[in-house]
Amino acid sequence: MKPVDLARKLRREAAFKPAALDRGKETLMAVIQQEVEPRRRPTVIPQLPYADIRAALSFLERAFGFREIPATRLEGADGVVHHALIEFGDSVIGIGTQGAHGAVSPQRGGIESQFLSVAVADVAAHYQRARAAGARIAREPRGRGAEAHAYEAFDPEGHRWRFVHQRLREVPRP
Amino acid sequence: MSSPSDAEVIGRSLGDPEAFGLIYDRHAAALLRFLGRRAGAKIAEGLVGELFRIAFERRKTFDASRASALPWLYGIGSNLLLKHRRGEARRLRASARMAADGERADRRAGAAALDARLLFPRVANAIEALPDDEREALLLFAWEELPYQSVAEALDLPIGTVRSRLNRARARLRELLEPKGKGRVRSQ
Repeated sequence: MKPVDLARKLRREAAFKPAALDRGKETLMAVIQQEVEPRRRPTVIPQLPYADIRAALSFLERAFGFREIPATRLEGADGVVHHALIEFGDSVIGIGTQGAHGAVSPQRGGIESQFLSVAVADVAAHYQRARAAGARIAREPRGRGAEAHAYEAFDPEGHRWRFVHQRLREVPRP
Repeated sequence: MSSPSDAEVIGRSLGDPEAFGLIYDRHAAALLRFLGRRAGAKIAEGLVGELFRIAFERRKTFDASRASALPWLYGIGSNLLLKHRRGEARRLRASARMAADGERADRRAGAAALDARLLFPRVANAIEALPDDEREALLLFAWEELPYQSVAEALDLPIGTVRSRLNRARARLRELLEPKGKGRVRSQ
């Protein structure tokens, strides 16, 4: 037997759920949609304070899939980033300097006074991505009913994020 | 009219992002099977969307001189799998047990069957112990049956480097098959 044939003996097909490919397509099309839709002008923008804004921007992109909105970054002459806007789906969040406007990063304050709840197309894929990027998980996507389709994670400064399947999100229409 | 090549579709998706959906329709099934063989169904199902998300976000960097996007997609998948080494190792060990049981069930195999029980776990260990780059080249070649040129494109390496990695991986596995290697298997 050749060495490659030996390796081939250990090849084994996996058994997939019938809808396995549909979920991946949903994930992709949701990302594509973000690029296609014209940018919104949101009425309310939550502002999150961070001690290290560059690190926060990088993490929120890698782990949670936010994107910095081009040309929104405010940078001092010393190269320090003071503020930037990030987007996800149809929502925008401001990433600002810890201490400015009275807002304190949980890293400094020692408590979280709020959390952000974000609707995603594929909670399991989002969870894997966040974990792979080193996010500390606060609540696993387990439990009964709806809670199996939601999880919570901390970003590096201790802001808590909740990600829920978009079907579970019910926002009253005006 | 013939259908457009992957390179043409990706080129079009730069201005018309939704066109990229066609790349998914063409290749997602192959990539899902690839991820499944390596890390099992559960991890693969979570990763396939992620793989294409990354591909979509990097589509500007796709080398348009390559007609097929498949090797490029395999390369993105290989990188994603690095984060799931433990799952891969578990699956490989389970496959080794199944391969050994399969050989044992074959009565005609006789004495060889005894060896199989020892041999396949050793093969799994040997594959597992290969340096990442050699293991990746070997599995893309042996399991995915990609030609050298496609392995080179997937791993973004010159074809000569792929050949030498595969030769090193082969040599390590050959040790398990040769009489001297067999003796070691028995004595351990």
